[in-house]
Amino acid sequence: MDILYLLIPLSTLLVLAILGVFAWALNGGQFEEIEREGERILTEAPDIGSNLDFDQAQIATPEEESRPEQFRL
Amino acid sequence: MAQSITPQQGGVYEDGTVRLFTLAAVLWGVVGMAVGVLIAAQLTWPELNFGIPWLSYGRLRPLHTNAVIFAFGGCALMGSSFYVVQRTSQVRLFMPKLAAFVFWGWQLVILAAAISLPMGYTQGKEYAELEWPIDVLITLVWVAYAVVFFGTIGIRKVRHIYVANWFYGAFILTVALLHIVNSAAIPVSAFKSYSAYAGVQDAMVQWWYGHNAVGFFLTAGFLGMMYYFIPKQAERPIYSYRLSIVHFWALIFTYMWAGPHHLHYTALPDWAQSIGMIFSLVLLAPSWGGMINGVMTLSGAWHKLRDDPILKFLIVALSFYGMATFEGPMMSIKTVNALSHYTDWTVGHVHAGALGWVGLMTIGTLYYMVPRMYGQTRMYSVKAIELHFWISTLGIVLYIAAMWMAGVMQGLMWRAVNTDGTLVYSFVESVKATFPFYVIRLAGGLLYLSGMGVMVWNVVKTAQAGQYQPLRIPTAQNVVIAGAHA
Amino acid sequence: MKFAAEFAESSLRVGGMHCAACAGLIEQALLRVPGVKRARVSAAAQCATVHWDPRLTRPSVLVKAIEQAGYDAVPDTAAAARAMRKREARLALWRVFVAAFCAMQIMMLATPSYVSAPGELAPDLKQLLDWGGWLLSLPVLWFSAAPFFSGAWRALRQRQIGMDVPVALGVAVAFIGSSGATFDPGGLFGDEVYFDSLAMFVSFLLGGRFLEMRARHQAEVALEDASQRLPNTVWRLAPDGQAEAVSPARLRVGDRVRIPVGQAFAADGVLLEGTTQADESMLTGESHPIAKRCGDSVSAGSLNLQSPVLMRVDGAGADTRYEAILALMRSARTQRPALLASADQWAAPFLWTVLLLAAAAGAVWSVIDPARAVWVVVSVLIVTCPCALSLAAPSALLAATGAMGRRGVLLRRLDAIQGLARMQLLFVDKTGTLTEGRMRCVAVQRVAGDDHATEALQGLAASLAACSNHPLSVALRDSFAASDIVWEGLRELPGQGLEGIDQAGRRWRLGSAAWVSEAQTAESVPGVQTCLACEGILLLRFVFDERLRSDAAGAVRALQADGVRVHLLSGDAPERAAQIAAQLGLAPTGFSGGMTPANKLAALRSAQQRGEFVAMLGDGINDAPVLAQADVSLAMGEGALVARTQADGVLVSNRLGDVVRARALAKKALSIVRQNLLWAAAYNASCVPLALMGWLPPWAAGLGMASSSLFVVLNSLRLAR
Repeated sequence: MDILYLLIPLSTLLVLAILGVFAWALNGGQFEEIEREGERILTEAPDIGSNLDFDQAQIATPEEESRPEQFRL
Repeated sequence: MAQSITPQQGGVYEDGTVRLFTLAAVLWGVVGMAVGVLIAAQLTWPELNFGIPWLSYGRLRPLHTNAVIFAFGGCALMGSSFYVVQRTSQVRLFMPKLAAFVFWGWQLVILAAAISLPMGYTQGKEYAELEWPIDVLITLVWVAYAVVFFGTIGIRKVRHIYVANWFYGAFILTVALLHIVNSAAIPVSAFKSYSAYAGVQDAMVQWWYGHNAVGFFLTAGFLGMMYYFIPKQAERPIYSYRLSIVHFWALIFTYMWAGPHHLHYTALPDWAQSIGMIFSLVLLAPSWGGMINGVMTLSGAWHKLRDDPILKFLIVALSFYGMATFEGPMMSIKTVNALSHYTDWTVGHVHAGALGWVGLMTIGTLYYMVPRMYGQTRMYSVKAIELHFWISTLGIVLYIAAMWMAGVMQGLMWRAVNTDGTLVYSFVESVKATFPFYVIRLAGGLLYLSGMGVMVWNVVKTAQAGQYQPLRIPTAQNVVIAGAHA
Repeated sequence: MKFAAEFAESSLRVGGMHCAACAGLIEQALLRVPGVKRARVSAAAQCATVHWDPRLTRPSVLVKAIEQAGYDAVPDTAAAARAMRKREARLALWRVFVAAFCAMQIMMLATPSYVSAPGELAPDLKQLLDWGGWLLSLPVLWFSAAPFFSGAWRALRQRQIGMDVPVALGVAVAFIGSSGATFDPGGLFGDEVYFDSLAMFVSFLLGGRFLEMRARHQAEVALEDASQRLPNTVWRLAPDGQAEAVSPARLRVGDRVRIPVGQAFAADGVLLEGTTQADESMLTGESHPIAKRCGDSVSAGSLNLQSPVLMRVDGAGADTRYEAILALMRSARTQRPALLASADQWAAPFLWTVLLLAAAAGAVWSVIDPARAVWVVVSVLIVTCPCALSLAAPSALLAATGAMGRRGVLLRRLDAIQGLARMQLLFVDKTGTLTEGRMRCVAVQRVAGDDHATEALQGLAASLAACSNHPLSVALRDSFAASDIVWEGLRELPGQGLEGIDQAGRRWRLGSAAWVSEAQTAESVPGVQTCLACEGILLLRFVFDERLRSDAAGAVRALQADGVRVHLLSGDAPERAAQIAAQLGLAPTGFSGGMTPANKLAALRSAQQRGEFVAMLGDGINDAPVLAQADVSLAMGEGALVARTQADGVLVSNRLGDVVRARALAKKALSIVRQNLLWAAAYNASCVPLALMGWLPPWAAGLGMASSSLFVVLNSLRLAR
């Protein structure tokens, strides 16, 4: 099973890479305020561009505003 | 306390490539499944090979698998991922011209496959048959795809990366890795190469690739689709968003080592086969977690299933996902595999996943996206969607039932021994016994294909009825309070 | 944009902002302060974030600037705690993820060794797999196991032993041993590697700690939410009817304040206009909304549910029940009750024993079979679980405290849990405890003295009673408007009454008939009474109606059925006490009337000398010495002065039935702690010998330890429901 000399180092590197991705996500706040994020796709503007009619967009609830928009990658 | 929204001038989403991908998906779906019907007919009536090499079963089978997985599935994934990543990031697609290259490059890959495979050019590795020049092209297109997708995430306006994008992203990166490792080959001429690996080593790499291709191309990618389009169509948030994130990481945990279950009772060392079995069983848990999460999204709104055929497609797709991810681990148990390996049960399992999970999920998603590509919210005919659903479901049931019965029968016939140790049945006897099941399977496949025909009609009518409207990207997710600083 | 390290950052909560434009004004005001680099004010969140140079300014200057602009500012103390919680949660999640993810991968690499027949796995392939396991254990050690190592190091530096010590030792020994087996197979450490057990064990332990941290954070958030219940800005009506926005800190008694729907009442007081419903669950545990009409009292911190109202402030700031309850909640959280101290006593010797056993096992096995010595030591170190002692008892007590809090009994000291469970004799005060706190004057009897108008006398009595907190004084104040009299030598004698000298030099007394008239006997009048006398001449008798609390009888019966003797202690006439005792179903010997505070104390002491465990339930203020003497004491939650009580717990719901429930919870908590201890004893007694004999491989030891701690914690969390 010499192929494992390729596959095992490969998967080990992969694990370290995945840990890195998780660290990046964690530090970027990806796992905070989870419950709201699930609903975000439903509260954004409608997915038909009907002549740029914005009033159909639902108004965001007041608590959402206080979160600053800027973030860093 | 009414607040007024002051929308500022923003851009529009780039959906041109998305539209092309959705249409291509429909086209290649029909083509790939038509080839599938042909080869099913050939298995039933070998005369249908006509003695013509380019129409022979051996050459057409890989054309079928590549067309349905990479052409049909691939275009659906690429198109939907571009659609989803823009809307969840609230930003226009990164490098739209590169996205166009992704589309046209991918079509070139498909065309090259459609020509080279019937001509007999093949590397002989399952789901990786395409010869080395096409592999190189795939790599180029895939890199471009990754750049566009991750670039869009990089310039996103919403801090949180919606869970669907995680699944799409994992799918893209993993497939890249798998493709590069597995397709490593030494070219000897323009259309001939030899795999960098040999013998059982090659088998291990091949099924490490093969199973993870199933796992990430056909599962993770479509789970990404599921996590966006089910909530959107049902107009309800995912049952537990937290669970969907746990689901993602749990899947990533466990997938890598399930491959060897394709190699039970082969020259692969026993312990390697055992690992494949154990971790295939472990995979059951995260898979079912995802399925339950998706299905329970309709909790409290099951009545929507009654009236909405698109939801029927999406939810029934999830049930087939659950079925296939239960059947798979069962089949990876060595004792079960001793019966099922090389029989048509494997084919039944594949098609439960392919027709049931991948097919129905894609169809449902296309029915959601196509109207929006033409400025509408509904397809031209909802009744036709309903019809399509019932035809497809019936087709699937016929298909897998036939294959189960054929498979178990074959397995039993092959292992039947007389008291003196000789085999009871000759191989050809089992082939004869399988004949009726092949007929039923063909009927099932024909039904499924005709459903796609209904879809084509519906898509054409929808396209004729409307026109794409550019969709404004919301710029004020936060409501602006006049005078205050955010 | 990041600032250089020399700038400080402060978060302030700003009050009095009534429109979004205020945010801009405040920002301007802050930016004018020398040394302020950046100021951001959010109208929606009502908070300000300021970056300032410590060399040029101070936080007090920032606050002053805001005040001069016409607003209020207080440090956002919750911000620091929130940030710390966020950091803690992120770090914990990272550690758990690394451990679990690597554990899964290491397990995949270790599986071939488990499933292959001997000789099937080529040695060099095995070494490759071991190398992979070694590499993937590094992140586990570096990130995930770090808290165990640092905890162990801290404990050892203080020459103590904590639970981290055997864990850290076990992990270290397992890693070193496995590394040896990886790099030098067949050498000193043998062939077997246990990276998978190590990683799995660490991930289970961290998983348990993660759950515990989440529960702790939830409790902290609940406390913070409660603390921040009061709005930053309230609308106070000036005498001319104009409304002005002020922060609750500026409210004074007598202010009229508008409370809109959905906002919390900013102070204790009385409804002047409007009818609404209030959610007082935080204060009383009562989850149903309470109807409030004009004249009804409202409490700071409760929520206005139905319609906007106008209230008059009677108590603000620290004098509110709300603040008192917060103080109780905080105090309970920082306790180290006696129960845990005794558990701690057992932990240290236990752990020392374990270490010694492990060392001994290592020594013995290195003679018998050196290759196994390391693994036996690791198994012994890992399998022991002092979790019942150090983990489960605290969580059980905290869970019980939380559950009691939700049912209206707030504990100041966690020791009260043991007290509630052990009590044998409960002394109960009558007035304000068994009976409704607020009494009404139902009759005024003229006894003598025609030269004073009754109304004037009433007003005088109310004036005398103005400064007293006795329930009867409060009732008098509620019933009559106090006259404007200047008293000299005003004093209150507990158990007897009030005395004061008016401007004309006459001595007035208000209190029990016997005392005020200095007479030998007084006619006994049914009902509760207090009398007003001038210079020893009885003038007025006030009769109050006194209602027994609706659940009093039921609660007494339940307690008696539970084995607790209930004894009524009352300062009232014995006949009155007998009446109440009969209504409650107490035994003929189960009450004492005519008790002065000294009598009550003596009764308590003699019961204690008889060896009984005595509890006292009373009015927090007037029974203070008696409450202090009792083995466990509970005070009623009525009245703003619950803040000053020194009782072990407060019955904020004022429902006597909650005492019964609290006792049941306390008993359950103690039984769960006992269960956990028993389990820990059984588990350790069976598993440690197994490990010593070499029959427990490290992975089983890790699994056992992790399951045991999980079991113990989950058992404790049953109380939280």
